[in-house]
Amino acid sequence: MMEQKMNKGWASQDHVGEIKSELLELNMGPQHPATHGVLRLLLETDGEIVYKCTPVLGYLHRCAEKIAEGINYKQWVVYSDRFDYLAPMCCNHAYVTAMEKVGQIEVPERAEHIRVVVAELSRIASHLIALATFGLDMGAWTPLLYMFREREVILDLLERISGGRMLYNYMIPGGVRYDIPNDNWEQDVLDFVTMVETKKVPDYNNLLSYNKIFIERLGNVGVLSVEDCFDYGCTGPVLRGSGVKFDCRRDDAYSAYPKFDFEIPVGEGEVGQVGDCWDRYMVRMKEIEQSCRIIRQALEQMPDGPYQTHELKKIIKAPAGAAYSRTESSKGELGHYIIADGGQIAFRHKVRSPSFCNLQVIEKVGVGMMVSDLVAFVGSLDIVLGEIDR
Amino acid sequence: MEMKAIYDLLAEHLGAGALGFMDEGIEAHADIDPARIVDAATFLRDDERLLFNQLMCLSGIDWDGYDENGKGKSVAILGYSDEGQPETSDRVAEGDFGVAYHLYSHSLKHKFTLRVRVPRDVAKLPSVTGVWSTAGWHEREAWDMLGIRFEGHPDLRRMLLDEDWEGHPLRKDYQMPAMYGIVPMDGKPLNKNPFSPDEIAKPPVREEQPPAPDDAPTEGE
Repeated sequence: MMEQKMNKGWASQDHVGEIKSELLELNMGPQHPATHGVLRLLLETDGEIVYKCTPVLGYLHRCAEKIAEGINYKQWVVYSDRFDYLAPMCCNHAYVTAMEKVGQIEVPERAEHIRVVVAELSRIASHLIALATFGLDMGAWTPLLYMFREREVILDLLERISGGRMLYNYMIPGGVRYDIPNDNWEQDVLDFVTMVETKKVPDYNNLLSYNKIFIERLGNVGVLSVEDCFDYGCTGPVLRGSGVKFDCRRDDAYSAYPKFDFEIPVGEGEVGQVGDCWDRYMVRMKEIEQSCRIIRQALEQMPDGPYQTHELKKIIKAPAGAAYSRTESSKGELGHYIIADGGQIAFRHKVRSPSFCNLQVIEKVGVGMMVSDLVAFVGSLDIVLGEIDR
Repeated sequence: MEMKAIYDLLAEHLGAGALGFMDEGIEAHADIDPARIVDAATFLRDDERLLFNQLMCLSGIDWDGYDENGKGKSVAILGYSDEGQPETSDRVAEGDFGVAYHLYSHSLKHKFTLRVRVPRDVAKLPSVTGVWSTAGWHEREAWDMLGIRFEGHPDLRRMLLDEDWEGHPLRKDYQMPAMYGIVPMDGKPLNKNPFSPDEIAKPPVREEQPPAPDDAPTEGE
């Protein structure tokens, strides 16, 4: 009986012809645990098959771009934290990199190293949440507890260096706010990194990644082709999951990244086709290991010297001009386009957030999926509504 | 490839449609005629020497009041008086609208910046959704925030704001409304519950209905 149904296909045309059916409009979200925030998907379904998927955004809109036209450059750093609240250090880093490009501010080498360390720690924390909640979407409850336990350690480490637990406001144009604390912080970070590499990642792989149920559930589901990725501007783990070796840390070589040796993991289609949900999941898992490598190198090569530029003024004025600068956030390419008019306030500040572009592809790929696979697909995109709605 | 060389190829293709290459400042950019944007975009994507297969970013810009010395004066809302009334200035915005396209080629690893300007009273230009699908949401956002109309866009609705929102907030002459629905917009905490329990507890006023005649057809027949 089951085989018969599978062979015929639930959504085959003749099946629809026999039984009169019409499309059902279904709201998924905005308050739904599988939409990772206040995302609302307007689905048109026939049975379990999605015929149209329209995301409705804006529930978390805070007009950060308009606010940027009213406050000065240094004050805006705090708003960049609130974009991707799971990896605030990466967002800080993106903004100060753009600001330094527009304002032509020199940054000391030590500050760049500290930035890399905290941004990579933040990336690990963000990926842990992505993997944990992805497992939760698929019905695996236990890995969530394990991964949140490790994330807690990162939050403690970042609290010791910045003073904040979730939102840090740590970087400023021209350096970082505080130096590394002298309470054995560097050694604690190294210990944590070693623990993640040697114990935790193998644990996660045993628990979740190579679990038979998990693989059966995700292999060949939500396959994203390279052409679609380029067309829809997908970046980050989503693009790398489809097998493209692109990483702003390597290709744009900003900050101190060119000094460090790391690999760019890509999807290989280990359990299905290249670019399926499992590939995107696995890219994040492998990136955790690479982030650990970067952190270790950055700490070992940590130079002495100032952690802020000496010419740091209270109020920064940027010369007239415009610049687009992009960095690799945990979700993908996070770009800032700042138009300066010579004053202390940006004339126009546009943020290109990775989740915003990654999510758009669902309008195309979501069509023809089962509703339950759509949940897997949204989970594998790893979106954060804070930076989509801005 | 250098930006200047890319611009030379583009200018060769567009002819009079290419308006100039600005190399001053931090980031170079090319100015082109907005009417030729789809032509230019298709050329940039498909030409074998360029292959710009990704649109990184599309930004709408309101150029009103731009002054290179930082003395620009926007007409935006200045603040609120103590009574909560918005304080505004009388200046009328007249600057152009602009759109900036940031392109990247994954195969050739080069970048390019295109800019167009349209007069404020026209505020429309052709959409590049057919060239890069990612432009779809960026253009919707530019329409939402700046009111730039993209012709040929398949689904030009508001992106982040509600459908019934009035005005386009990132315009420099945007005046913040005093009220949105029943919510005052003065930025102060609500000291009065718009849905107060007294209001809800009141029984709804019902008008006297004439009794239905006995032979009236009942529903469902």
